[in-house]
Amino acid sequence: MTTASEHSTQVKPVTQHRGRISSPIDIWRRRLLIFIVITYTAVLILAPLVGLISGAFAEGLGGIISAVSDPAVFSAFSLTLYIAFIIIVIHALFGTTLAWVLVRYRFPGRRLLNAFIDLPFAVSPVVVGYMLLLLFGRNGMLAPVLDLFQIKVAFAVPGMILATLFVTLPFMAREVMPVLEAFGIEQEQAAATLGANGWQTFWMVTFPALRWGFIYGVILTFARALGEFGAVLVVGGGIQGRTETATLFIFRALDGRQYVGAYSAALLLGLLSLILVVGTEFLRRREK
Amino acid sequence: MNTKFKTLFVIIAVSLLTACGSSNTPSGNAGAVTLTLAGYSTPAEAYAKIIPLFTAYWKAQKNQDVTFETSYAGSGAQSRAVIGGLDADVVALSLEGDVTNIAKADLIKRDWQAIAPNKGIVSTSIVAFAVRKGNPKNIHDWADLAQPGLEVLTPDPKTSGGAQWNILALYGAALRGKVTGVPANDETAATNFLVSVLKNVTALDKDARSSITNFETGNGDVAITYENEVLLGQQRGQDYEVIIPSSTIKIQTPVAVVDVVSDKHGTTEVADAFVKFLFTKDAQQIFAEYGYRSEDPDVAAATAGQFPAVTDLFTIDDVFGGWKEAKTKYFSDTGIYVQAISEAQK
Amino acid sequence: MTTTTPSLAIKDTPHRAPWGRWGIKSAAFTYLIVLLLIPLSVIFQDGLKDGLVNLWGSISLPIAWAALRLTLWTSALMAVINAVMGTLTAYVLVRYSFPGKSFLNAIVDLPLAIPTLVTGVMLVVLYGPQSIIGGWFKDQLGWQIIFAPPGIILALLFVNFPFVVRAVQPVLESLDRESEEAAATLGAGSARIFWQVTLPALWSSIASGALLSFARAIGEFGAIVIVAGNIPFRSQTAAIYVFGEVESSNRQGASAMSIVMLSLAFVLVLFVDWLRKRGRKERTA
Repeated sequence: MTTASEHSTQVKPVTQHRGRISSPIDIWRRRLLIFIVITYTAVLILAPLVGLISGAFAEGLGGIISAVSDPAVFSAFSLTLYIAFIIIVIHALFGTTLAWVLVRYRFPGRRLLNAFIDLPFAVSPVVVGYMLLLLFGRNGMLAPVLDLFQIKVAFAVPGMILATLFVTLPFMAREVMPVLEAFGIEQEQAAATLGANGWQTFWMVTFPALRWGFIYGVILTFARALGEFGAVLVVGGGIQGRTETATLFIFRALDGRQYVGAYSAALLLGLLSLILVVGTEFLRRREK
Repeated sequence: MNTKFKTLFVIIAVSLLTACGSSNTPSGNAGAVTLTLAGYSTPAEAYAKIIPLFTAYWKAQKNQDVTFETSYAGSGAQSRAVIGGLDADVVALSLEGDVTNIAKADLIKRDWQAIAPNKGIVSTSIVAFAVRKGNPKNIHDWADLAQPGLEVLTPDPKTSGGAQWNILALYGAALRGKVTGVPANDETAATNFLVSVLKNVTALDKDARSSITNFETGNGDVAITYENEVLLGQQRGQDYEVIIPSSTIKIQTPVAVVDVVSDKHGTTEVADAFVKFLFTKDAQQIFAEYGYRSEDPDVAAATAGQFPAVTDLFTIDDVFGGWKEAKTKYFSDTGIYVQAISEAQK
Repeated sequence: MTTTTPSLAIKDTPHRAPWGRWGIKSAAFTYLIVLLLIPLSVIFQDGLKDGLVNLWGSISLPIAWAALRLTLWTSALMAVINAVMGTLTAYVLVRYSFPGKSFLNAIVDLPLAIPTLVTGVMLVVLYGPQSIIGGWFKDQLGWQIIFAPPGIILALLFVNFPFVVRAVQPVLESLDRESEEAAATLGAGSARIFWQVTLPALWSSIASGALLSFARAIGEFGAIVIVAGNIPFRSQTAAIYVFGEVESSNRQGASAMSIVMLSLAFVLVLFVDWLRKRGRKERTA
């Protein structure tokens, strides 16, 4: 047993206690803990996933293909992707700006605002939908304004966009802020002294360093937007072909006894998100 | 770098405008018309078959293309949605009271029951039970639903019209003395009976359709539901059986044009024509195919074989004095149902 | 990692921000106000417009109160289980190596990718009374999983699984091993090292992860609407209660419960934020 172990101060996942010989108890404890974790994860997480996959394949690959060729599936997924795209554009722009303001500026109430951004994580989707109904419903607070401009928000796509914007708000800022904080301001200052204006500094110095935080933010926002259900259910109205997203289609398909259709769409949705999330993680590891 | 900002701004602006635009303008070319139908949870299949017939008919008559947009959910939920902003041109709901609420919200200005045939009642059914194949729990009538240990499925009256029909059928049968062990015209006894059945309810689904599909996944021993739902399920390959209690309520489902909305869309003429079309022999025949008891005498006579007679059939007017009274007495925040469900959990 | 100089405020340095300072700030604030503050304030305004007494009246209705209680205890129980299992999972992922480790690591994020509605469906298929597992529990032990609190807790555990793991994992990874090594040389066993050296360093990240999952669980809808039975007093959570109230046009009931849930959420989020900051301070001290 030696104390001269060269443990580094680098960030590295350590896989075993260095410089100590593992006793049999240690080995068995290790095995037991790993076993417990694997069992827990298998039962809790994997089993439902396996159930989903087998449900989707209940009528074989042909069943899945015919289920997703339903025009309702196509329009539902189109709407979901359309909404997600708009969400990303808005959050990419404003979320990054918000992160910038919160990190680079000081003003009264900054800490409170910072905590406030996490609120959408904890608000129930039903409440989100309800809030928007109170604002934009037929007898809502903004009803006179909407009537004036002949705009429909509730029970239409704009309402669903607003609902999804609310629930995805934290992701962009939360991913970009730590990177901005760690990045430090020196390089930006250096660029400024070299004569770069604000924009040039941002795009050529800051943004490249933010890259992974930004990409992660976009991906997480996208994945969350794909799976939004409660809020769009309450504020959207589920009109087939017009305000029915992928999740709402799944909800309706379950009631309509279209089980293969529901599970296939669910699998598709899940796969889309999973590939993005895991893929991004993979790419980021590669880059390191 | 300013160009990047400008392009982003343009993208956002264009996207938002298209989003607003696409939800306001009806699809299709000039002259084409879109009709939005908000229905309760069970007639989706019937309407899926009727709508193409109507669009063909209308095209032949007026040379105009009609596209339908449909939404189906619990009757109460749909009523709330329409009042809250869902711009439906036509509503097909489970009970007259839900249409009345829309009228009360000043969205229906005309006397919809006078305009449409048969006071707007487009199809009828009865409250019945779905039981497992072979009826292992021996359910034959209302009293059997109170047996201890039985698992009953019925939807949530807050959102589902079918659920309200179920409760009223049970209560009505009890009041009429048709429930074994419950004296007639005794409200306390009837309420106690309701409590004993509610004790057996394991899940309150949001609408009738979810309730029966829940039953189909294997939950529950019996589902109280529309007779037409059980028949439709059987057509779709389910092997449950339908049990008709000795005394049950006649479910009368209305359809109405939401004229304030349709006037705004300029679709009142088409909407009226669609509602009228639902009362034609062709449409009524389709309803009958999907398990509805037709009010049209010819279709009813032709399909009589499908539908067993009910020993004691009553209507909401007979026992409860209409939907307005029933909703207040039974389904308000302090109504009999709320008291009963609370009592049942003790 | 070398220590970073704390970010200096803009006004301390000669720095020209894009769009002008005022432009950026107003963009950011408008974004927040429009998307966050206005919707939230609308609910508070609606629920409070008849006064606090009426609000209390709506909340203290037996059905509403029961829904709130059910939500709180199932979410709390879930948070505790999640704290334990999440920490354990993070520990195993960071400290051990075994076949399938990277697969396990990827699986942790799975609940974030699956729509909550789908989670609910899968749980009913797996554990409903007609399934093998659910049927066994019901026949042999008289326990009902689906349409009863166990099903609710199960759904909440699935959906919130990543939060404690991902909160603890980075902290564990960057933990300074010196103290642990020192304890080892002094003869402490692995267990003791864990309880008295490692765990204390982790507690704020465990707490923040668990609290965040608690806060999310209170509002959970998609998974619960399928899995719980919606029976008042028995299996109806606060979020489902709000849904029912909204769908039956009961504004008072919906707004009152929403305000309670929002206030809870806000308090919890503030607490989580404080814990995170505290944890960071402890680690860089």
